[in-house]
Amino acid sequence: MDQIMKDSSSSSNLQLRNLSKVFGQGNGKVTAVDSINLDINPGEFITFLGPSGCGKTTTLRMIAGFETPTAGSIMLDGQDMSALTPDKRPMGMVFQSYALFPHMSVYENVAYGPKTKKMPSAQVKTEVEAVLDSMSLTALANRSPNQLSGGQQQRVALARAMVMRPRVLLFDEPLSNLDAKLRAQMRIEIREVQQRLGITSIFVTHDQDEAMSISDRIVVMRNSKIEQVGLPAEIYLRPASVFVADFIGISNFLEVASVEASSAGLAKVAVLGKEIDVPAHEDALTTKSILLVRPESIRVKRVQGSNQTIAGTQGRVKQVVFYGEHVEYRIETELGIIIAVASDPIFEEIVKVGEFAEFSFDPMRSWLLPADTH
Amino acid sequence: MKKFKFASVATSVLLGISILSFATAPANAASDRSGKVCYEEGQVFSSEGVTVTCADESGSLKYTKARKLSGSLTVVCGATEAWCNAMTGAFTKKTGVATKFVRLSSGETVARLDAAKSNPEFDVWHGGPADGFGVARIGGLIDKYVSPTRKIIPKKYQDSDGYWTGVYVGALGFCTNTKEIRRLGLTPPTSWADLLNPKLAKNISTAHPSTSGTAFTTLWTQVTRLGSEAAGLDYMSKMHKNVLQYTKSGVGPVAIVGRGEAAVGLVFSHDCVAGKLQGLPLKVTFPSEGTGYEIGGVALIKGSKNPEAAKSYIDFALSKEAQNLGPTVAAFQVLTNPKTKIDPRMVKLSGLTIVDYDFEKAAAAKKALTAKFDATIAIAPKS
Amino acid sequence: MSSAVLEKENAVALKKPKEIKLDIGTKTALIISVLLLLLMVVFPLLNILTRASEGTGLEVFSNVLKSAITRKIILNTIVLGVVVATLGTIIGFFLAYAQVKLNFRGKKLLHIIALVPLITPPFAFATAVISLFGRSGIITRDILGLTPTLYGLPGLTIVLSCSFFPVAYMSILGMMRNLDPALDEASASMGASKLRTFFKVTFPMLIPGFASSFLLLFVEASADLANPLVIGGDFTVLSSRAYIAINGEYDVPAGSAYSLILLVPGLIVFLVQRYWGQRKSVVSVTGKPTGTPTFIENKVAKFFLLFIPVFIASFIVLIYATVIFGSFAKFLGVDNSVTLDNYRYIFSGVGYDAIIKTSMMALIATPIAGLLGMVLAWLIVRKVRRGREFIDFLGMLGLAVPGTVLGIGFAITFNDVIKIGDTTVLPQLAGGGAIFGGAVAIVMVYTIRSSPAGQRSGIAALQQINPAIDEASASLGASGFRTFRKITLPLIRPALLTGLMFAFAHSMTTLSPIIFITTPETPIMTQKILAEVDSGRFGNAFAFCTLLIFIVLTVMALINLSVRGKSTNTANTPIVRA
Repeated sequence: MDQIMKDSSSSSNLQLRNLSKVFGQGNGKVTAVDSINLDINPGEFITFLGPSGCGKTTTLRMIAGFETPTAGSIMLDGQDMSALTPDKRPMGMVFQSYALFPHMSVYENVAYGPKTKKMPSAQVKTEVEAVLDSMSLTALANRSPNQLSGGQQQRVALARAMVMRPRVLLFDEPLSNLDAKLRAQMRIEIREVQQRLGITSIFVTHDQDEAMSISDRIVVMRNSKIEQVGLPAEIYLRPASVFVADFIGISNFLEVASVEASSAGLAKVAVLGKEIDVPAHEDALTTKSILLVRPESIRVKRVQGSNQTIAGTQGRVKQVVFYGEHVEYRIETELGIIIAVASDPIFEEIVKVGEFAEFSFDPMRSWLLPADTH
Repeated sequence: MKKFKFASVATSVLLGISILSFATAPANAASDRSGKVCYEEGQVFSSEGVTVTCADESGSLKYTKARKLSGSLTVVCGATEAWCNAMTGAFTKKTGVATKFVRLSSGETVARLDAAKSNPEFDVWHGGPADGFGVARIGGLIDKYVSPTRKIIPKKYQDSDGYWTGVYVGALGFCTNTKEIRRLGLTPPTSWADLLNPKLAKNISTAHPSTSGTAFTTLWTQVTRLGSEAAGLDYMSKMHKNVLQYTKSGVGPVAIVGRGEAAVGLVFSHDCVAGKLQGLPLKVTFPSEGTGYEIGGVALIKGSKNPEAAKSYIDFALSKEAQNLGPTVAAFQVLTNPKTKIDPRMVKLSGLTIVDYDFEKAAAAKKALTAKFDATIAIAPKS
Repeated sequence: MSSAVLEKENAVALKKPKEIKLDIGTKTALIISVLLLLLMVVFPLLNILTRASEGTGLEVFSNVLKSAITRKIILNTIVLGVVVATLGTIIGFFLAYAQVKLNFRGKKLLHIIALVPLITPPFAFATAVISLFGRSGIITRDILGLTPTLYGLPGLTIVLSCSFFPVAYMSILGMMRNLDPALDEASASMGASKLRTFFKVTFPMLIPGFASSFLLLFVEASADLANPLVIGGDFTVLSSRAYIAINGEYDVPAGSAYSLILLVPGLIVFLVQRYWGQRKSVVSVTGKPTGTPTFIENKVAKFFLLFIPVFIASFIVLIYATVIFGSFAKFLGVDNSVTLDNYRYIFSGVGYDAIIKTSMMALIATPIAGLLGMVLAWLIVRKVRRGREFIDFLGMLGLAVPGTVLGIGFAITFNDVIKIGDTTVLPQLAGGGAIFGGAVAIVMVYTIRSSPAGQRSGIAALQQINPAIDEASASLGASGFRTFRKITLPLIRPALLTGLMFAFAHSMTTLSPIIFITTPETPIMTQKILAEVDSGRFGNAFAFCTLLIFIVLTVMALINLSVRGKSTNTANTPIVRA
């Protein structure tokens, strides 16, 4: 494995230019990918995230060579890949269904690629054993794929792709068939291997947790186009659109009045009867905008006494869900339902259904962004 | 076995002697008997690749001009498998020309000859019905060849222009299942009129005149016997009520009658005899009003790759020696060479009333007549 | 990035990228198989079309509209096709249903019996049925005292339904096995009875299966020749009319024209399947079964559901027993004394050569046909995007074309050397003077007639395999053809096995195209059977049939052993589409 590490130390970059894919003809024409541009840096772990049908898998399959782009180019280290068949592209792929060859043992599955490349058999043996060892698969080498658990199959699929020392590793929702616990564990394993080898990787998923935890950068896609490219924190805390905010995590969107510029990067807005300075998207001042507040940013406090109305920062609790380490509230307010999460709750302070609550948030933990015009 | 050994020893001795005595003579002179006197008309003599035929030359029998035979010969054969086998085997043995055959019905033969017109695969057509040869002649698929032996064969059994010559004759007869006819309380029919007996309802088996030369012979016999196409068709439509089904193949009724599905079949008598020989309870009778007959011919294929051998084969097929093979392989057709042995199981044509069957007229009328039969009789309901 | 650079890059990027090219191996496979199909089907067919457009052929086409007789013949053909297709599909369904939903002893045996008709030589079924159930049948007259007339539609219906239902059985069985039992369970959990579940859940999902087997049976039944000749009586259909035209009227153009009308149902099937194929992804259920199949245990229901399968199976066994017994009888039904004469006759020389040579040629054709079928299936399902329907159609054409037409087409096409300009491209392949005595043409006919079975089963098998498996191989650097050899072929081994077995059975039982290209060097068993039936020597015919069945079964067993022997336990792998 160490040899592989040294050999692949020079990582590759990948550029997508105006990449498009149209399926069908005439009236049945469907644009799956619409002219996307993306630069992926050497050794970077990029995740394509989006709802099903957004074009993320098609993009991945074009990179792998399984789909022919309708237009645009794919450049790997400055070399155009378009004319190459999948088998000529220095890329490895891990499939959603693992696609292990059912008639071959684990060892044979991993050795398939090197043998295809006509590597001397002694070398095949060394390399395959090294990879199996690094993935803790040595004991399973002679098993047939259908004798393995899902996680084991996943590791074989990864080992099989890695033994080829690809310049780019492609993952097509590889964890979606695993249970939650195993999924979390495999995420760490994949990330660990990828960082150790420094292989440029592209990962497709519709699971936001997976995307957040594994990626250097996330590409959020929607309706065949890239909606936003950014670090996981940017995507979550500084989403470029209502769509991104809504797709990742839970969002409260508060309607705001009288938006005006304040100091650099801030805007003065009127919300819930107060005027506050909030961080703002650069477009938020020029178009209709809306204020994003994540549930965990909202503090909730029981209202005692007689002033129990739904107005301003006060509302009535409609639903309380207790999760253990946190409590989730649904509060009926004058702006509609607001979701708040109180972590590490004090038993006596948990507000009950029907009780009234005062809610508040730190303006710096909110984000003003353009309202969705789509 | 002993006989064979003797024959081969004798042959080699003869060969040895001839080689010795004619060592200095020109090649092939050894067995070239052409022009010499011979004694049995039609006999084919072959030795050392040279073949001659004994023929009547203005009153005296002499061997014909010698043919140097070599190579191989392919016969398309319409007779039974066993007969084709016997004929080609005998010719190979006699001349050393490797002779093989494919057994095909006459329709298939014409279709194949036509398909392969540009590069014929066959040399001789042996044992097809006269009407098939007629079609082949019109299509330019066969060549004229007047065999020196034709003189022995009765004129009515050969094409006057020399395109084909008859090798056997079959007479149309009634093939009756003796058990079934008894069950019906009848005796085997002896006249065409007998076939109209309502008691025979669904008990007559005959082939369809479109597919079977046999059945067309039946149809044309009615036309000849009754004097007009209309009268002939009228008879057929009356008989139609008694017909179980029209088979595709002319010999089909033998098996149907043999199994007792029908009581009477209209077939060539030799096919019925062959069935009887297999142990089927069959009896052959002939119509007193007169019956028709078929001629099985032999012809040279146009564009034959080995015409010399093909011509010798035709000579051979007409010879007494070759024709006598018939009864040895359960083929009881009447043979056209009058010098052949008469097998008791063959029909005696002289004892039958034969209608004046005009093959050319029949061939000319066939298409329209069968179409009419198809349209007015075959599809008509039976009850 | 300056705008000038951006523009330049855009200019490069907007150029339409080149189509991803197939690798050399795949391309070679594609070119070779398409060339083979063009050579073996299209070329002969074009030649025969030219012939059919001569005088009398055109007359036939115009008669279709004018002549009442021709219309009646077409109607007969359609009636026969519809009746047989309906009955065959029903029989096939009941047998498949019993296999999947019932638990009983002898299930495996029933399965084997249900497939047996596929290897029946032509004439055997009809001849045996006549001997047993005809006017003088052993059962009808000797036992029951009846004299039914089977000739015509009734006899054809019995014989053809029993000969062709295995096609329906196999396709419905395959479909039912793929149905997710969870669907039944879901229906049951919502309170539906078994009957309701069947009519509301199972049945609607099987409709495409019913439709496709109905169409296949329709094509097979309407194109059959041997049975209409033996048991068709006065019920003339297109195939027997074509036979009459060629054999009785010496009219090849008319015969070709009649046969070509038969191509119409084949074309319709192709179009309908294409239409269905496009919606198939919705209908065909190919998830890995998640539930456990449940069997019907109700005694009464079981009895009724088993009645038809057992009846049919007994019938088939009876027919086979008749054929085998008939081969040892002097004349079945007339003189049943046991004799070896029939076999003696065959082995005395007339038949021996035919047995050896037919088997040899079928054995040569089998792997070629099996491989061609699989390669075509693979190209169609996995490789070719544009024109895949066309290739599928070309591949199936070999079976869709009536045998007579194909045979004459071969005779016209391959009886001479084929030249382009002055150079000989192909030596003479068919007829007496051809290389190998014309055996090449016969092997070609066997191949083209039997590869469609492999193609169909290959396509069905490939559609069950997740395409990601192929893609995984490609992403590991394997060329398309290496993927085919190393991954696809091992995975579709069961389909290959079926393809090979049917290829052999089909070759051994092919008759109508062979008549026109057989030579003295290539005697063919089916043709000998025809000759024996023709001259009424049923005993010999039965003996030939028995030998033929014996050879086919032996070779099938050998293929099974050799191909299955290497197989690993791939049965329960999750290779189905996710």
